[in-house]
Amino acid sequence: MHRPAATPRPFHSVAWLVWAIAAAASVQLAPSPVYVALVVGISWVMVEAHAPDGPYRQAFPILVGLGLVFGVFRVAIAALTTHNGLHILFTVPQATMPDILGGFTVGGSVESDIVLQAAAVAFTVIGVMAVFGAVNTIWSHYELVQSTPRSFYELGVVVTVALAYIPSTIESMRAVREADRARTGGHAVRRGRILRSILPVLERGMERSVALAESMDSRGFGIRGPARADVEAGWCVLLALLAFGVGFLALIGNGATTALICGIIGTAALVAGVWRSSLGVQRRTYRPRQLQAADWLLMGVVVLSPLALGVLTAADNPTLAWYASPVTWPRFDPMVAMALVPLLAPLARRAKLHADSPATEMSAAHS
Amino acid sequence: MTGGLTYEGVSFGYPDGPTAITDIDLSIPPGDILLVVGTSGSGKSTLLRCANGLVPHASGGRFRGSVTVAGRSTRAHPPRELADVVGFVHQDPEAQFVVDRVESDIAFGLENLGGDPIGMRRRLEEVMDALGVAHLRDRNPTTLSGGERQRCAIAGALVTAPSILVLDEPTSQLDPQGAEDVLAAVARLNADLGTTVVLAEHRLERAAPIADTAVLMTASRIDREPAAPELVLAEYPGAPPVTRLGHLLGWNPAPLTVRDARRWASIAELPVPRPQSGPTFGDSLLAARGVEVHLGDAPILHDVSIDIRAGAVITLLGRNGAGKSTLLRCLAGLIPARRGTIDGTAQRAYVPQDPSSLLFRPTVREEIAETLRLLGRRDPDAIEHWLDTLGLTPLADRHPRSLSGGERQRVAIAAVAVGGAPVLLLDEPTRGMDAASRHALERAIARHTDAGGAVVLATHDVELAARCAHEAVVLGDGEVVAAGPAATVLADSLFAPQIAKVVPGFLTVEQIAAALEPA
Repeated sequence: MHRPAATPRPFHSVAWLVWAIAAAASVQLAPSPVYVALVVGISWVMVEAHAPDGPYRQAFPILVGLGLVFGVFRVAIAALTTHNGLHILFTVPQATMPDILGGFTVGGSVESDIVLQAAAVAFTVIGVMAVFGAVNTIWSHYELVQSTPRSFYELGVVVTVALAYIPSTIESMRAVREADRARTGGHAVRRGRILRSILPVLERGMERSVALAESMDSRGFGIRGPARADVEAGWCVLLALLAFGVGFLALIGNGATTALICGIIGTAALVAGVWRSSLGVQRRTYRPRQLQAADWLLMGVVVLSPLALGVLTAADNPTLAWYASPVTWPRFDPMVAMALVPLLAPLARRAKLHADSPATEMSAAHS
Repeated sequence: MTGGLTYEGVSFGYPDGPTAITDIDLSIPPGDILLVVGTSGSGKSTLLRCANGLVPHASGGRFRGSVTVAGRSTRAHPPRELADVVGFVHQDPEAQFVVDRVESDIAFGLENLGGDPIGMRRRLEEVMDALGVAHLRDRNPTTLSGGERQRCAIAGALVTAPSILVLDEPTSQLDPQGAEDVLAAVARLNADLGTTVVLAEHRLERAAPIADTAVLMTASRIDREPAAPELVLAEYPGAPPVTRLGHLLGWNPAPLTVRDARRWASIAELPVPRPQSGPTFGDSLLAARGVEVHLGDAPILHDVSIDIRAGAVITLLGRNGAGKSTLLRCLAGLIPARRGTIDGTAQRAYVPQDPSSLLFRPTVREEIAETLRLLGRRDPDAIEHWLDTLGLTPLADRHPRSLSGGERQRVAIAAVAVGGAPVLLLDEPTRGMDAASRHALERAIARHTDAGGAVVLATHDVELAARCAHEAVVLGDGEVVAAGPAATVLADSLFAPQIAKVVPGFLTVEQIAAALEPA
C-alpha cells in the first residue's frame, strides 16, 4: 500500500471529531460563563492555527453569529415570559394570550436575574456553536465520509456536496444584491427586494445542482447498487437510531430502565451494523488516511478535559455552574481552567495552512 | 471500430420542447479530434450529451435512433456505466467538484469504478502530469483559477482511462490564458494517449487549429459530412478572423492560424491603410481622476484616470486581477474610491459578469420591464427598442433561464440599459457568446453611442475590442499601463487582434474589405 496523501491537516478528521465532542462536553460540564469564554477562546485559537485556506474558513464567524442570534432570541423570550425573579429592571406593557394559545402572559416586569440567567444559558449555546464552527473550518468533510461504514458513503457524499453549497450561496447572494443595486443605477427600491435577491440565488443553485448531478453520474457515482451486507447494515443502523431516540425520550420522561434497555439495544444494533458493513464489498478508497499514533494520542489527551471536569463535578466544585440569583460575579477556579488545557493539544503540531508558494504564485498569475 | 463513437439516425426532443437534434448520422474514428461548431441553440450540447447517455437518461424526452460507444449502446447503459469509456466535461468549471481537495476529487471516478489500488495511484499521477495539475493536488478547487479548475475537471474525467473525451464548451467561462492552457492540454492528451476528443466551442481561434475534422450544426441538423476545419469554417460567421480574411482574399485552403495566414500574406497583394481622421466625441459624461480603490486592506487600483465622453467606446484590457472589474464597479458607484474624484452627473448602469445574478422574471420581456417598474416608469417603446437592438425580439417570451449563456448576457444588458443611463458599464460581456450574440452586442453598442451614450467594456476579447472600441486602456497590477486610441494601443501589443498580426495597420476583416473597395 502507498502512504496516504499529504494534506494540510496534521490530524485526522476523526481525531477532530473527538476533540469537538470533548470540547462540547466541557461546555456542558462547566457552563459558567468564564469557562465557556475559555472554550470559545480555545476554539478560535484552533481556527487560527489549523484551518486551511478555502471557503470553510467563514464557518467559524457564521456559526458563532448564528449562536448569538439564537441567544438574543432566547434572552428576549425568557425576559418577556418568565416572571419569578427578584430584581425588577423595568416594566413593559403586558398581554395575556387567549386560552387556546396557552393563556400565558407576555410582557410585564423584566427581572435582571432572569435576563442574566438566560444570557448565561445562551452563552453555552454560543460556546457549542463556536466548537462546531471551529471543527467545520478545520476538518475535511470528505475524510469523515471516508471513515464511515460503506453503507453511509453515498449519503455522506450527498451531505458533503450540500455543505459545499453554503459558502458559494453566500457569495452569490452578495453578487445578486450588488446586481440589484446596479440595475437601477444606485436607486434603491425596497419593495420586493427579498424576492429579487432570493430567486436568482435559488435558480443558480438549482442549475448548479443539476450540472453537478450530471457530472457525478458521468464519473460513475452509484454505479454499484448496495450489496446485501450494506442493506443489512443500513437496517441495523436505522434500528440503532430508533432505539437511541426512544431511549432519549425515556430519559426525559424519567424512565431510567427503559432508557437503559434502549441504550443497550441501540449500541448492539450499531455494532452489528458496522460489523455487517465491514463484511460488504469494500469500496476502493484512494490513498485512505488511517488514524496515526499522533491521532490516537490527540484523542486520548483531549478526552482528559471532560473526564477531569467530571471528577470536579463529582467533587461538587462550586464554580462550575453559575446562578444569577442572587446576582454575583461568576467565580474562577484555576483547577477548572487546568482541566480545559488538554483541549489545546492540537497546537502540538503545526498545520500547513497555505499551499506552497510556487503554486500560489502561478494561480495568482492566472486568476 | 470498437474505440469509436457512432450516431445512427439519432433524433431527440426535450420533454415539452421542440426537437433539439434531428437525424444525426455521425461516426467519429478513434484518435480524432472532432470540433462541433454552430450557433447557440443549434443542438451542439445535446449532440455531445448523447455520447455518454446523459441524453436521454438524465434529461428524459423523446429519443430515436442509436448511439454506440465502444460497442455499448447508450440506450442500455446509463452514464455511470459508461464512465470507463467516455469522460464528460461540463462548461461550468464550478459545478463539477465533489471533494474539497484536488487529488481526492480526481480520484472520485476511480473510487466509484474500483480497481487495484496500485494501478489507481499510478493512473492518477499520470493523469495529473498530463494535465499539468500535479502541483495543485493539495488545494481546494474553489481557490483555483477557472483554467486550473477546468484542467482538474478534465483530469477527473480522464482518470478512468476512457477512450473518448467529450468537452462541452470547456473554455467558454475562461479567460484567454486559461482557455489556451485547457486546449493545449487537450491537444497533448490526444497526441500522447490517442484519446478521441469531441469538442464543442464558440471561441474558434484556438480550438480550430487543434481539430482534425469539424461539423457545423444549424437548426438541429448537421449540414454536411465532417470535413477539415478550414473547409467547414470558410463561410461561418464565427470563424477566426484569419480564416475569414482568407475567404475574403480567396486564399485556398483558408488559414486557421496566424502562422498560416502570414505565409499567405507574404505572397499576396495587400491593401495599404489609408490615413483616417479619428472619430470626434462629445462632452465628457464622467471623468475619474487619480482614483485609488482598496478592497479590505488590499490596494486594487492606484492613481487611475479615465475620461468617458459622449459617443465613445472605451475598452479596459488586462489580465485577471488587474483591476478591470473593480474600476467598473467604482465607476458605477458600487464601491467607494479611497482617493481621487469621479466627476460628472451622468447616470451609469452596470452589467455584472454573471448575468444570472440579475435574472428572475419568467420571460425576457418582463425581465426588461422589471427595471422600468423599479424606476417607477412605464415605457413600452423603450422595451421594444432594447429587445430589437440586442436581437432579443424572437426570444421575448422565453424564460431567461432557458437561454444559452450568450443570450442571457444580452438579456441582462437589455434589462440594465433600458433604464436609460447614458454611461453603460459592461463587465466581460462576450463570455460564452456565439457569433450571432456578439454581432447583436456590437450593433447595440454602436446604436447606444450614436444616440449620444458612452460604453465602457472590461474584456479579454481583443477581437471585440478591435471591432468596436475607440479608445483602449490597459491595466496592469491596478495601474494604467497604456491608454490611447484603440488602433494604436491594440496594434503594438503582444495580444494584438489576429488581423493586426497578419496585415499591419488593420484591426478587422471589415476594415480590409473597406480598403479593397475602389475609393
